[in-house]
Amino acid sequence: MSTNLQVAEQRRGDTPVLSLKGRMDATTSPDAEVQLTRLIEGGDRHIVVDLSELEYISSAGLRVLLAGLKRLKQCGGAMKLAALRPEIQKVFDIAGFNRLFAIYPTLEEALGGGQAG
Amino acid sequence: MIPELITAFIVLFQMMCVVVVFAYLVTRTRFYSEILEGIFSWKNQLILILIFGIISIYGSESGIVILGAPLNIRDLGPMVAGFVGGPLVGLGAGMIGAGYRMTMGGFSAIACSFATILAGLLAGLINLANKRQFPGIVLAISGAILIEGLHMGLVLLICRPLSQAVELVSEVAFPMIAANAAGMFIFAFITLNLENEKRTTRERDRYQAELQRKNAELQIAREIQESFLPASLPSLPGYSLAAESRPAREVGGDFYDVLASPRGRVGLVIADVSDKGVPAALFMALSTTVMRASAAWHQRPRDAVSDANALIARESSSGMFVTLFFCLLDPGAGTLTYVNAGHNPPLLVRKNGEISSLTLTGIALGVEGGALYEERSVDLGAGDLLVLYTDGVTEAEDPSQKQFGEERLAALVRAQRSCTAGEVLAAIQAAVSAHTLTAPQYDDMTLVVLKVGS
Repeated sequence: MSTNLQVAEQRRGDTPVLSLKGRMDATTSPDAEVQLTRLIEGGDRHIVVDLSELEYISSAGLRVLLAGLKRLKQCGGAMKLAALRPEIQKVFDIAGFNRLFAIYPTLEEALGGGQAG
Repeated sequence: MIPELITAFIVLFQMMCVVVVFAYLVTRTRFYSEILEGIFSWKNQLILILIFGIISIYGSESGIVILGAPLNIRDLGPMVAGFVGGPLVGLGAGMIGAGYRMTMGGFSAIACSFATILAGLLAGLINLANKRQFPGIVLAISGAILIEGLHMGLVLLICRPLSQAVELVSEVAFPMIAANAAGMFIFAFITLNLENEKRTTRERDRYQAELQRKNAELQIAREIQESFLPASLPSLPGYSLAAESRPAREVGGDFYDVLASPRGRVGLVIADVSDKGVPAALFMALSTTVMRASAAWHQRPRDAVSDANALIARESSSGMFVTLFFCLLDPGAGTLTYVNAGHNPPLLVRKNGEISSLTLTGIALGVEGGALYEERSVDLGAGDLLVLYTDGVTEAEDPSQKQFGEERLAALVRAQRSCTAGEVLAAIQAAVSAHTLTAPQYDDMTLVVLKVGS
């Protein structure tokens, strides 16, 4: 297991995809927050976050994603989460965040723009 | 002529070596430091005058003779004295150097002596103009070059016969200016290094003092935060109750509460604010107060939680949220009515070992202002055990980052179900400690345990 978080960004067409790899906790989450804020302030309104390689998320990580979602919703945007591992999905389920975020089984489906699963 | 020049340069090099040693030793003295810091006393000024006077004498003595005139760094001492200590110190050192030069005689004795006094005085005036600060390297070296140029001018002006003065100046002007500038560079470099060193030390001290102050503040914050938790737990006939919260840092985001309700009912709260440290602690202060007030106002848990959520959501910027479990126990009837707002599901262990979890009935607080919360009820019987916990318990990691886990907690609680609330709490804490060993824990850990029957 890793102790850090790698934040990678790519563009699929017009949509920015933020890939989070490793652990999202109180120490590492600020890195993701910086990237997310930069995208939103850069004018992006629809952001896909690929969580396929995220191993752990704490409440600090949830807070960063929630803050991003709130900001995007305020300006008519949306955030889609893709490919959550079962243990990550469980954290979302416990806090009730599974009803809040649009969660897709795969990155392709998130990019396809269909209904959240 | 050329061998003489080479010898001259070797002698100059030796001089510079001596200057380095002088500069190092002098700058390390208390008196030099005091004056650099702007603390002037008769004693330290007098001592600097003497030290730099001696350096000036050394400058004369170490000189080599070119055409009957000594090429020397006599002016260096008084110049440094002036740059560091102002006109008085420069003048004093200059007069010592000048006095010694007079005793050496020669056709340029008066001009050279006068030039040395002037060097100390002018450097002192530069120090004054620079608000009594040692000038930077560039200013110090430019000053030295200018003053040596002036020295040469004085020789031309005063020494007679003029032809001899012109010959002397044309021979020694460049090496003398260069030698004094080099000496000045050494002094300035070491002095500025010293100032940098002192500044770094000061900054470190200030930083440490700041750190101490912050730690003291955090300690106070911790005490205030502890005061938000119940000072003692009420005694409930027919039940045993135990609770403890351990923040991972000075302040934390976990809290629990035990609230008296009308008709002998008792409210239990456990909650975990997102993230850590001071932001979480401030949000905890808000949430605990809001929840307490809301629980006192409303009869039904779902109304209490809905209202608390509306208030907390209004204050939640930057995505802060609270997972919270609130239940109302009717001790007489043995019923427990609860709302789980996104909190880790508490474990209910029946006397026969059957285990269930009190899962989500609504989203975490602070996320959506208008969120709806359901409430559910369970009946409790003698020997039943209820364990409320925060994720600091189940997510406690061993040195290889393996989490304590919910399965382990469930198994432990099940095995301990015949114990009292206090014993169960202690057993969980001990098991978590044994799991984590020396691994540092990053999350707050809170437990509330209710046992039906003593």
